[in-house]
Amino acid sequence: MADHSVEELAPTPGDRATRFLKRADVKQTTLFFIFWTALFVVLGIYFYPKWMPTIMSVEMKSAEKIMIWFTVISAPIAGFVLAVATTAFMNRHRGDTPPPDGPAIRTNGPVVAVWTVTSLVFALVAIIWGLTEMNGQAVAAAKDAKSAITIEVRGSQWVWTFNYPAQGIETHELNLPIGVPVIFDVKSADVNHSFWPVQLGVKVDANAQVTTVIHTTPDKLGPIDVKCAELCGLYHAYMETTGEIQSASDFDAWVTAQGGHKA
Amino acid sequence: MSTLDKAHTSSRPVPNPKRSLITRLHMGTGVVVGIIFAALVYWALKNSLLTYTDKVADPLSPHDNNIVLLGAMFAWSIGFMAGIGAFIGPWRWLIGKDLTDEEILYLAGDGQGTKRYFKYCTDHKVVGIQYLVGVMTLLGVGGTMAMMIRTNLARPGGHFITATVYNSLVGLHGITMIIAMIIVATGPFGNYVMPIMIGAYDMAFPRLNALSWWVLFTAIPVLCSAWFLGGIPTGWTAYAPLSIQAGPGMNAFIATIIIFAVSTAVAGANITTTVIAMRTKGMKWNRVPIFVIGSTISVALAIPAFPTFMVSMIMTALDRTYNTGFFDANMGGSGWLYSNLFWIMGHPEVYVILIPGVAALMEIVPVFVRKPLFSYNAAIMGFAGIAGLSILVWAHHMYMAGWAPSLNGPFMVTTEMISIPTGLLFLVLIGTMWRGKPWMKLPMLSVFAFIWDFMIGGITGIYLSDVPADSYLHGSMFVTAHFHFTLMGAALTGAIGGLAYWYPKMTGRMLHERAGYISFWMVQIGFNVLFFGMFMAGAEGQPRRVVDYAALFRNSNLISTIGAYSVGTGMIILLWAVIHSWTKGKIAPMNPWGAKTLEWTVPYPVPLTNFDELPVITSDPYGYGKGK
Repeated sequence: MADHSVEELAPTPGDRATRFLKRADVKQTTLFFIFWTALFVVLGIYFYPKWMPTIMSVEMKSAEKIMIWFTVISAPIAGFVLAVATTAFMNRHRGDTPPPDGPAIRTNGPVVAVWTVTSLVFALVAIIWGLTEMNGQAVAAAKDAKSAITIEVRGSQWVWTFNYPAQGIETHELNLPIGVPVIFDVKSADVNHSFWPVQLGVKVDANAQVTTVIHTTPDKLGPIDVKCAELCGLYHAYMETTGEIQSASDFDAWVTAQGGHKA
Repeated sequence: MSTLDKAHTSSRPVPNPKRSLITRLHMGTGVVVGIIFAALVYWALKNSLLTYTDKVADPLSPHDNNIVLLGAMFAWSIGFMAGIGAFIGPWRWLIGKDLTDEEILYLAGDGQGTKRYFKYCTDHKVVGIQYLVGVMTLLGVGGTMAMMIRTNLARPGGHFITATVYNSLVGLHGITMIIAMIIVATGPFGNYVMPIMIGAYDMAFPRLNALSWWVLFTAIPVLCSAWFLGGIPTGWTAYAPLSIQAGPGMNAFIATIIIFAVSTAVAGANITTTVIAMRTKGMKWNRVPIFVIGSTISVALAIPAFPTFMVSMIMTALDRTYNTGFFDANMGGSGWLYSNLFWIMGHPEVYVILIPGVAALMEIVPVFVRKPLFSYNAAIMGFAGIAGLSILVWAHHMYMAGWAPSLNGPFMVTTEMISIPTGLLFLVLIGTMWRGKPWMKLPMLSVFAFIWDFMIGGITGIYLSDVPADSYLHGSMFVTAHFHFTLMGAALTGAIGGLAYWYPKMTGRMLHERAGYISFWMVQIGFNVLFFGMFMAGAEGQPRRVVDYAALFRNSNLISTIGAYSVGTGMIILLWAVIHSWTKGKIAPMNPWGAKTLEWTVPYPVPLTNFDELPVITSDPYGYGKGK
């Protein structure tokens, strides 16, 4: 494909770039790159919000945000890899004999360098993003700790039990007042379980003899599901219950109905 | 010159090893001795004072039962090895006379036809075929379990199987597939092809090679016995204290892991030594085929990783037999200790699985694109970087354990760094394809499938490595879908590509092409449908390892099950193709793909010592291409 008339002059970097971009396989790769990148962006933006349950806390929001945005920022990298592969696929060779030899490209220093630096930058973005989110959650939890209600969660084969010490009640459903920070002190009576109030986007294992802690603040009214996310024996699948994020007055009414008192 | 080589080229009369005990032992005698020894130990332990409780007060406590069962299982393994003749060599050596040359030649399976596949055969090519059949058997068993799981989950409230059976299936499917995947590339191709690729007569330790296979073989009936002992309720992770609480079937799991760890240690030592010490003249490190590099890094990573699994299982066994309380918080132990030991093995282990699969594909691409491997150095840095980092990431499996939450940040950093060496692997594959015209044969198709599947597995892995996202996704079906994309979509696809590529050398025949294509598309499309559904279920909030689920997850699970049937059917077609082509396939030429690595310079059947005269290497095997 080399154009001999051009090679007679010493090509400037600009000429070389222009020639490179005019090559058929480069054009093809560019088109596929746009296609795959767009596809991944759309998939990430469309599917995750569609699939994920109602977002009822900052933690849940941050999980969804990360799933969407990490898809979006990795889309160009995925798009590039898939574009080169698709271009090769479109130029495939059929038949029972091997194709003629291609160009003997052993390596390309600048390409390897750019690729490595790009993936390093990508990894750093993901790391910094994650650490920032974690830090934000930790700071919020520390700030909210004073105003928080504490709930002692006990997992046992195959039931969740919630003790509200300040309210003096113990139940098997997890009702919480909206906007009030909550601290879950989680323990197990037997094997490991994992306490997962699904719509709140937090999770922690329940262990015997030690208490594990998670924080969150429900910010939306509505029903929630509580599941066990750690295989805990025969009826693991059925170790689930429900609850509700309620307004302050509804929560107080519920506590009273359970035989408890206002904190 | 090895002893084997001397024996082979010596001009002594035809050996008459009839008098030697070695000639009379085979798999059958192994089974008989194994069963007898297991029965003896079973009887002896049941009636001995080695057990834990007072026999008069409590004749058969669960602790006693565990001691008796574990004893019998290990006795079976040791008895089998004795019965097949594994200890004859060490015994002779002990009393001061090693095996004779005739016996060594006999052990190598010289002139014994198919009988040698059932003997303690030291020929690496025989061991390779044994591993291949073993892997296919394990994949078949594990795959059948997967189909049962998906059948039960086809709709909510499914009662195809009970919860007890389901939980056992989840664990046994997991461990069967993990074992199969650990050996899927290094077993068959690492043993059969690799010594030829580096220009060696055989492995460095041929008898250890036979040992590694037959020890692994003894683990298979032990694992299967879990079914008859009530199954395992723990999943393949076998977390304590659930594993301490579990019934007698758990002993089968423990014994399997310990036996398997012995096998991998032996195989790992053998493969690394062979590659370090037995490369032919001129094969400098920068001329070694990339599959050899990848396999070596993989087994070298397994050597430190698996002992922690073995140790954790020994401690679990002691907790279950002598009530040692290592992992029991009520006795001052810690379940977190178990999880740490497990994942210190568990995360390197996924790369032990992945690397040989990728390396096999890197061997394939240059041949089918007729271009040099793009940046051999990047490939090595990729493998080495992954292997190095994988030792430092284990606790990302424990973000939500509540154990040391302040370590979540550091583990997130190390985990996300893995995307850098992983990116290099992609670069090598697409760089080699760039400006090439890939020859669309079965091995090359696997490369494309790998790129797609591993891309999905990689991106979803980035969310899971991120603590705030993992706090939603951990323990959900999303995780299950993610690791199937990496282990099955990437590593198994790589191994199937390797099978299609090396099949002609290993069997002398071409793999049935049409069946191969049909299988490929059914498996790949089905696989993507299956795990698309599972990503969906996980994002919707379905926990993993559940026998039943809420109506909300109906569609996603149905999608998964439909995909699973396509994968299952495709795999059966592949199995048919492999079996059919083995005897009836088109006869393969010596070098059907026009490759430049050494295994394609030897005829089929490959001579006992591979080469009459060892080749001398003057360049790496990727000298394709015109210009430059």
